[in-house]
Amino acid sequence: MPLKGKVGESIPRVDAMDKVLGKALFAADFRMEGLFHMKVLRSDRPHARIRKINTERAARMEGVVRIFTYKDIPGKNLIGIINKDQTVLAEERVRFVGDAVALVVAHSEREAERALGKIQVEYEDLHPIFDPEKSLDSTTLIHEKGNLLYQRDIVRGDVEKGFSDADLSIETIYSTSMLEHTYLEPDAGVAWIDEKGRITVYASTQNPHYDHREIVTSLGIDPSKVRVIQATTGGGFGSKLDITVQCFLALAVYYLRRPIRLVYTREEAYLATAKRHPLIMKYKTGVRQDGKIVAMYVDILGDTGAYGSYGIAVAGRAAVHATGPYHVPHVKVRARMAYTNRPFCGAMRGFGVPQVAFAHESQMDLVAEELGMDPFDIRLLNAFEPGSETATGQILKDSVGIKDCLQRVQEHSKKIKEEKASPGRLSGRGIAAMWYGIGNTGMKNPASARAELNHQGMFALFTGAAEIGQGSDTVLCQIAASEMGIGVEDIRLIRGDTAITPDAGATSASRQTYISGNAVRKAAARLRVMVLENASEFLHVPVKELSIEDALIKSIRDGKTLTTLEEVAARCKHEGKKLIGEGFFDPPTSTLNPETGQGIPYATYAFACHMVDVRVDPTTGEVDVLRVVAAHDVGKAINPTNVVGQIASGVAMGIGQALMEEFAPGQTGSMREYMIPTVKDVPVIIPIIVESPEHTGPFGAKGVGEPALIPTAPAIINAMNRALGVKIVNLPAKLERVMKMVLKGSGAVG
Amino acid sequence: MKNIKISFVINGKKEEREIPPNISLLKLLRDHLGLTGTKNGCEAGECGACTVLLDGRPVYACLVLAPKVDGKEIITIEGIGEEGKLHAVQKAFLAHGAVQCGFCTPGMILAAKALLDERPNPSRKEIEDAISGNLCRCTGYLQIVKAIEASGKGGKGEV
Ligand code: FES
Ligand code: FES
Repeated sequence: MPLKGKVGESIPRVDAMDKVLGKALFAADFRMEGLFHMKVLRSDRPHARIRKINTERAARMEGVVRIFTYKDIPGKNLIGIINKDQTVLAEERVRFVGDAVALVVAHSEREAERALGKIQVEYEDLHPIFDPEKSLDSTTLIHEKGNLLYQRDIVRGDVEKGFSDADLSIETIYSTSMLEHTYLEPDAGVAWIDEKGRITVYASTQNPHYDHREIVTSLGIDPSKVRVIQATTGGGFGSKLDITVQCFLALAVYYLRRPIRLVYTREEAYLATAKRHPLIMKYKTGVRQDGKIVAMYVDILGDTGAYGSYGIAVAGRAAVHATGPYHVPHVKVRARMAYTNRPFCGAMRGFGVPQVAFAHESQMDLVAEELGMDPFDIRLLNAFEPGSETATGQILKDSVGIKDCLQRVQEHSKKIKEEKASPGRLSGRGIAAMWYGIGNTGMKNPASARAELNHQGMFALFTGAAEIGQGSDTVLCQIAASEMGIGVEDIRLIRGDTAITPDAGATSASRQTYISGNAVRKAAARLRVMVLENASEFLHVPVKELSIEDALIKSIRDGKTLTTLEEVAARCKHEGKKLIGEGFFDPPTSTLNPETGQGIPYATYAFACHMVDVRVDPTTGEVDVLRVVAAHDVGKAINPTNVVGQIASGVAMGIGQALMEEFAPGQTGSMREYMIPTVKDVPVIIPIIVESPEHTGPFGAKGVGEPALIPTAPAIINAMNRALGVKIVNLPAKLERVMKMVLKGSGAVG
Repeated sequence: MKNIKISFVINGKKEEREIPPNISLLKLLRDHLGLTGTKNGCEAGECGACTVLLDGRPVYACLVLAPKVDGKEIITIEGIGEEGKLHAVQKAFLAHGAVQCGFCTPGMILAAKALLDERPNPSRKEIEDAISGNLCRCTGYLQIVKAIEASGKGGKGEV
């Protein structure tokens, strides 16, 4: 019987069985003898100097084991994935409501909670800044280096000349809101000293190897003394890339040598973790009468809040993607990120691209309308194709499926009748397209993987790639199975344990299928060759005449089984040989020129187009998303059911982004105040998988996790603009805002 | 506060416990009985991750005071199937890709089971009503709805 799980097969996910049984061990599920509990004291001031922290009374409270402040941190009290500007525990300053100030460890959660209230912090309030524009002009510095975190410029061609050649130019200012990821599992972790004396942290995370590095530096100890294990992780969407509980727990275990647990409440997860950057985006698009875009000017200002987190990456990625998937000869982009005293913003599914896609896709529709062109036609006319040059001067080679996506959706648009408006019911159809670079922007971002055949002939795959629900465990197993000629059920997957798995980098930027996928494939290929070489020796058959199929070693000539993996393993054991294949992949990119932004930011891009039908009730302002047709060029669908799952996932989140989600610091404290889509908000979804193979991808694959989200909101807004005859420029288009627009009639509103 | 004694049936087994009177059913399950399959996503009746069956009806365990279950029957995710003997909904969740991060999954499965126990062939609208109090941030619900539809029709969950 052929074994299951080859690339392209929709096998059930390898992690799903434990999850449907309720056996999967999330961090908060972990139980241990003699557990202590931790609570975090957080600043209630947006910007203040700390004069004094008095923990004496709190320390005397019943059940309290110990209280920690910055003074207890033996190593460096400075963390951050890109730029280090965040303290583990505040020293002389707090920069947002939610900054961590002290930790209480007690025998029970309740006792720890009670003691929090007894810690006295003397603050001296400083001038708080809540607006990125004001921040850049302010003399109050939030960080010593200044309030501008980062600026990325991209200059291509001559934008002035471009606009003078244009027949029409359209200028609009767009803005988006701060968003909260609202993964279902609040951040959590448990830490203890393992049997080898290592400080071991079992936590909900998207990047265990990064967590490991931050713990090591904050404790100032040898890397071998720390171990991070990724717990089953209940969603992340970018938020769990930042340090949450990890350094707190490690610090306490460092001193107490006892198991300690920290589980955020939902309120704390809202208060203390990263958000999506709100962006203000000024767009000017110059276009010729025939619909060809000739010039684009974009100025982006983002609010990164109190800390850098992924702000630099968001600015860089927003700038690179600002044109949308279109060829524009003359481009000038500036993207800046400013610090404020609001919650810090980090990575969230799409890193700035969902924001700029709202702007560039709104601009496309405005241009089409002015010129009387069809929205599909104008996009097809300008869309990238193999050989196109991007704004950073990169020539796109293969796997440029944007036109395919547009055309496949267009076919559907002809088949599916548009809803007719009726009295009291307005309706509209909108489309939006996107491109998304796979992996980090213009920098090294490698992954490693290891494949082993043990002496019993069991295959094991080691990867540091965090599974956060997106499906990498399954995809990586399928890639290994296909390469190795075995079934997925024959694979033992060892994932996300810094003591034994190779670093795979972050689960972010839709990079694990492409980058870890390649590393896994290479590891498995090396192991396969090694196994065949060993088999060849005792079979006396040349390697090139051997293959592994259905987990057996066969002759290529006649397909006969010659030996088994167990046999090869047993012989290697006898000879003291190890069968280990290692794989490494770093996508071929180049750093971007600091002044012009020219370079190769990504090795490959995913593309997509969504079409949305909406109905609006003008009396209530209620918006009904009726249908989403979603075409995605993923290169190759390793597991089509998984790809569909990602598409539906993105569509739902896009609906939230377009219509309901907005995080208001100081006001949004619970899920009641932050509405995410329920099953009732999600329409009919028609997923279309486009496979335009990427030659550098594993079996041609790219990625889909973030792309799935990006076109939905802009397509909804374009549909609403048509239905209502308005121009929505701010997200989300909440009920009350829609009502205002309806009352005002047409015109730019938001 | 003084502990009180309650007795109840959990996943078919009779249990007696002394508990503080002010804890929730969610705490009773997770911290006192070690049944951590039931999840805590908000502890405020907003996410549905803690959904269990109380006398056959789906409830948010975080909103039920533990003493209220005295004399009642509770079913959690640990009590509806095991490997090799999965419940039809569990099978369908596997077959249809309805599980991603898995944090909403136990609650979803129990909400679906409650529906199917009452209406073996639910309409789409009934399915949506039944899980509208269960949030999922990962799946976009598409494959969850499909899985519940399939477990209704085939009764086996596989298609
Ligand atoms: S934990 Fe009970 S509803 Fe969220
Ligand atoms: S699968 Fe992650 S919340 Fe539903």
